[in-house]
Amino acid sequence: MTDRSGTLERIGAPVAQPQAPEALASWEKGVLKAFIPWVVVIAIWEIAAANGWSGAVLFPPPSSFLRYALESDFRVGFGGDAMPIPVAIVVSALRVLVGLAIGFAAAIATGILISASGAFADMVMPLVRGLAPIAPIAWIPLGIMLFGIGNPTAIFVVFMGVYFILTISTVAAVNAVDQRLIKTARSYGASRTQVWTRVIFPAVLPQVFTMLRINFFAAWMAVLAAEMVGVKNGLGMMIILGREMFNTKLILLGMCMVGATGYLVDALLVQIQRRILWWQPAP
Amino acid sequence: MTTLSCRHVGKVWPGAGGLSVTALSDVDLTVESGEFVAILGPSGCGKSTLLELIAGLEPLSSGRIAIDGKSVSGPAPGVVMVFQDHSLFPWLSVKDNVGFGLAMKKVPKPERERRVARLLERVRLSKFANHRPHQLSGGMKQRVAIARALVESPEFIMMDEPFAALDFQTRALMQRFLLEVWLEFKPTIIFVTHHIDEAVLLADRVVVMSAGPGRIIEEVRINLPRPRRMTDPGFNDFRARLTETLEREVMRAHVEDELRLVSHAA
Ligand SMILES: Nc1ncnc2c1ncn2[C@@H]1O[C@H](COP(=O)(O)OP(=O)(O)OP(=O)(O)O)[C@@H](O)[C@H]1O
Ligand SMILES: [Mg+2]
Repeated sequence: MTDRSGTLERIGAPVAQPQAPEALASWEKGVLKAFIPWVVVIAIWEIAAANGWSGAVLFPPPSSFLRYALESDFRVGFGGDAMPIPVAIVVSALRVLVGLAIGFAAAIATGILISASGAFADMVMPLVRGLAPIAPIAWIPLGIMLFGIGNPTAIFVVFMGVYFILTISTVAAVNAVDQRLIKTARSYGASRTQVWTRVIFPAVLPQVFTMLRINFFAAWMAVLAAEMVGVKNGLGMMIILGREMFNTKLILLGMCMVGATGYLVDALLVQIQRRILWWQPAP
Repeated sequence: MTTLSCRHVGKVWPGAGGLSVTALSDVDLTVESGEFVAILGPSGCGKSTLLELIAGLEPLSSGRIAIDGKSVSGPAPGVVMVFQDHSLFPWLSVKDNVGFGLAMKKVPKPERERRVARLLERVRLSKFANHRPHQLSGGMKQRVAIARALVESPEFIMMDEPFAALDFQTRALMQRFLLEVWLEFKPTIIFVTHHIDEAVLLADRVVVMSAGPGRIIEEVRINLPRPRRMTDPGFNDFRARLTETLEREVMRAHVEDELRLVSHAA
């Protein structure tokens, strides 16, 4: 046939086009939409406090607790427990991230091993199902008894909180892998092992990662709770310290930092999902 | 000369709760090297099953499938599969998808890259080598899937309704494209389709299967000169003959089903 190139050129054009400039404008609109409610809430809060409508002592407004942070040089606590606020943020965020990373990797490995070994699965899955409903927070006392107070306890709590649930999620995702992908791989010469490593493993990552994100907040709360009751530093300790000193500014400052840090870590997880697991759109 | 022969091939799928399904019973089929064979048949008659058996992806329940006299007992290097929904790996780039089979067989990287580049050039997708499947249109994805098959220099390509998900125009272009590469690379193609026109347009021979359990009830050699057009004299005769066979078979199966229901009820 003569017009070979013509034939082919006409078979469809790429679907994805570079982002148009309007997309940027709508992105900016999105940011604006997200900001307005915050501005309104904070404005009402500030006005209420300034006019004495609410107890300014019980609910100090942002202007007051942020000034407090400035005045105390971004440091909280006394003596050996004293810690700059940025360090508290990093310490808490790292604990949850390390726990999640270890939990994620271990769950994927366990889930794949369970799925790959038929009979073994029937024995292990009831155990996993029994342990999965235990909230991350519930592991704190055991963690403190096992590891004392410190980073290992916080990481242990996060790990136990997500490991079982992500293992179940991995097993479910393995069962849901498109059979035709597996058949295609085998038809192109993939060995049994290669089917697991080159097809099933990448195929389950997005779904399990989504599950990780859903469970992130529970894990984050567990880290803070662990910091409040035993692990004597991080953002959780900041809030507890505020309570012990009857310092509501410190309590609210801590809560504010907890919210902001949690939000940022979640945003980081979304970015990981978009950049590394881009083949499935982030929900 | 590589010949594929299926003798008395049967396949019973184990079903849930002991309800097994006989998908194929007593299929006899011989395919010569370089031949383009189309398979037509009512839905659920076992066409996909037959391709999977030939590709060595599933064990037979009875009979024998042999390539050049050697029994098929697993995925063979010279036999590759192309599915309707292209089945590209979404996490791999276009070029890694095309090179997947070569990578599995540990073909050294320089050779792999050379062969992949040549095939991408051939399917006019060189510009998209680093794109991901979700960035391509349906027709482009299917071209990647065809490139992935051709890069293996396969003797047999099993195509299971490869163009079923494409719109009418894209499908027509893909049919021409498939014929071009078939004439150029001369693989043996077994092509399942629901479209009688598509079968007559492409194939040397059209095989019609009965409703499940599938057997082969008719084989028609399409001795029209190539390149063919649907308006060619003679095209209509083949279309009419195949339509009639298929309709009769679908009706027969339907009546049998009804009778079975009635006898169950009685
Ligand atoms: N993996 C499987 N496990 C159990 N039963 C199966 C399996 N694959 C197919 N079957 C059954 O075998 C029969 C034939 O199926 P098959 O997919 O081969 O038909 P087909 O001719 O390709 O149908 P269609 O035209 O709709 O694609 C059907 O009854 C189907 O339910
Ligand atoms: Mg089918």
